[in-house]
Amino acid sequence: MRHLRVMLGVYVQYWRINILTTLEYRENFLLWFGFTFIYHGSAVLALWIVLNRFPSMNGWTFRDMAFLYGLWMLAHALHNTFFSTVGDIPEHIRDGEFDRLLVRPLDTLFQAIATPGQVFPDELILALITFAAATWYSGVQVDATFLVFVPLIVAGGALIDLAFNLFISTVAFWFVRVDALRWIVIQLEQEFTRYPISIYSRGVRLLLTFVVPFAFMNYFPARFFLHKAHENAMLPAEIGLLTPAIGLLFVAMAYVFWRFGLNRYSGVGH
Amino acid sequence: MGKGTPSMAIIEAVGLRKVFRSLERGSGIWGAVGALFSRTYVDKVAVDDVSFSLEPGELVGYIGPNGAGKSTTIKMLTGILVPSGGQLRVAGIVPHAHRMANAANIGVVFGQRSQLYWDLPLRESFELLRSIYDIPRARYLENMRHFAAILDLDRFLATPVRQLSLGERMRGDFAAAMLHDPKIVFLDEPTIGLDVVAKEAIREFIGTINRDRGTTVILTTHDLADVERLSRRIILIDEGKVIYDGSLERLREEYGTHRTLVVNLAESYPEFVVAGAEVVSRELNLVRLRFNRRALTAEALIRRVTERYQITDVSIIEPDIDSIVRRIYLEGYHEGAALRQAQDDTPS
Repeated sequence: MRHLRVMLGVYVQYWRINILTTLEYRENFLLWFGFTFIYHGSAVLALWIVLNRFPSMNGWTFRDMAFLYGLWMLAHALHNTFFSTVGDIPEHIRDGEFDRLLVRPLDTLFQAIATPGQVFPDELILALITFAAATWYSGVQVDATFLVFVPLIVAGGALIDLAFNLFISTVAFWFVRVDALRWIVIQLEQEFTRYPISIYSRGVRLLLTFVVPFAFMNYFPARFFLHKAHENAMLPAEIGLLTPAIGLLFVAMAYVFWRFGLNRYSGVGH
Repeated sequence: MGKGTPSMAIIEAVGLRKVFRSLERGSGIWGAVGALFSRTYVDKVAVDDVSFSLEPGELVGYIGPNGAGKSTTIKMLTGILVPSGGQLRVAGIVPHAHRMANAANIGVVFGQRSQLYWDLPLRESFELLRSIYDIPRARYLENMRHFAAILDLDRFLATPVRQLSLGERMRGDFAAAMLHDPKIVFLDEPTIGLDVVAKEAIREFIGTINRDRGTTVILTTHDLADVERLSRRIILIDEGKVIYDGSLERLREEYGTHRTLVVNLAESYPEFVVAGAEVVSRELNLVRLRFNRRALTAEALIRRVTERYQITDVSIIEPDIDSIVRRIYLEGYHEGAALRQAQDDTPS
């Protein structure tokens, strides 16, 4: 109980420091914000150009794809806002700052997540607006199921991102530098979440469903809400509601791996 | 020295050992490529059968050259590393097994790394630490007042850490490490890179904390002046082994056998020779003579000098701990070794 209260107190301080730091470097922040805007804007524009040529892609129109993108963007922004600091762990291991986390009376992973940097909820706000607009534009029906499940699905999608972020950072306990691995996974996620996975070969579909389940961040939930259960027909439409469970499962696996890596760092068994 | 009953000790290490295993790697590019496929491991013993015990309130210098195993020992004491062998208790706790409980008892200052937030006023870092260590508000305010007074923090509490001088930043780091009233503090090279004034302020602070609060202090440093000024006991470590554990006085007594006599001559003699002493340097009329204190008293040497030369002034320089320790690293520590050498130096 006491531990939870302390963690909550630290977490509030963490956000206070994040915001103070962001304001300290206002110009840098504005530049980042502008970049985020352009980045997502150009992704949506690219989709629009492609679908202007072909009115639909495997039965998906631009309106459908807007919802697909909006859903991924929201989950991804949620992860970036609350868990991006997990990606700094390899750098802390390399420069020795990681030891500092180990001599403080709090869980190491919690501290890694709550290490102040320059985090600001700008991307999340942009993503919320984009998602609201995409939902309206795609004509998805906002009913009770939507209102109950979408927040859970978005949280689950953020957990899938977190799981891979943590997994890659944990590899740094062995190899210290993991930039290449991180780049590969980020590319995989960004390329394959943009279009419905039904356009890809069977191997890629299996990969994105069971191994690196990015399809659960947006494709399967979008398939459910857009009533496209006829594709990938062997999987029922309701599979799109499993995202929170998939997220929890993968985070749990990544956490077990993390504990294993942390023990190795301390030299257990040598 | 830790001669109390074992239960009294605040730190107790018995046969502590740490072995690092790494991939064998040849030199150059081909060696590096080879290491990608290599499965040969090499074991490096970083800490080898280290035993010592510390009483509460002791201030100990833990000294050794680079790679001697100092940092590895500290990392085991702080719970960062798990020992490969031996027993270890810090304030009654096995550090790696109860890392967080141990963390609440200890404070750590890494001289080369700050725990302060670079972009923000110093005060913000303290506020975050207050949350992390769950320090009661009243206790926090009192400690802040106390540290501000000794370390003169008030002047720069509102300044972003990146704008502080190294000395100011270091003072901030010390306060940060002490805010939660740790029973034990580990100071790893706390004065590295500081100017004389800042060094003195830090030493003063360490002394005060140790004296007034009874905080146990383990100090690793290259600057033996820190140790000379602060601690009565030192532990010398080399190649992972403790080679000396005892008082500074005893070390000086046994190894600091050579003193230097500085003589100001009244006129420039073409030749200067004195039996039982060696001329180390001579600039104009200033002569430095090295002599063995066990073979010759200063008084006797001065008499020998004045019998042959006119002088205006004399002074004596005691051996510094730096040169003593350097000599031990080169020759190894042998009990009574210095005495034997004293006999060799006696002029026949």
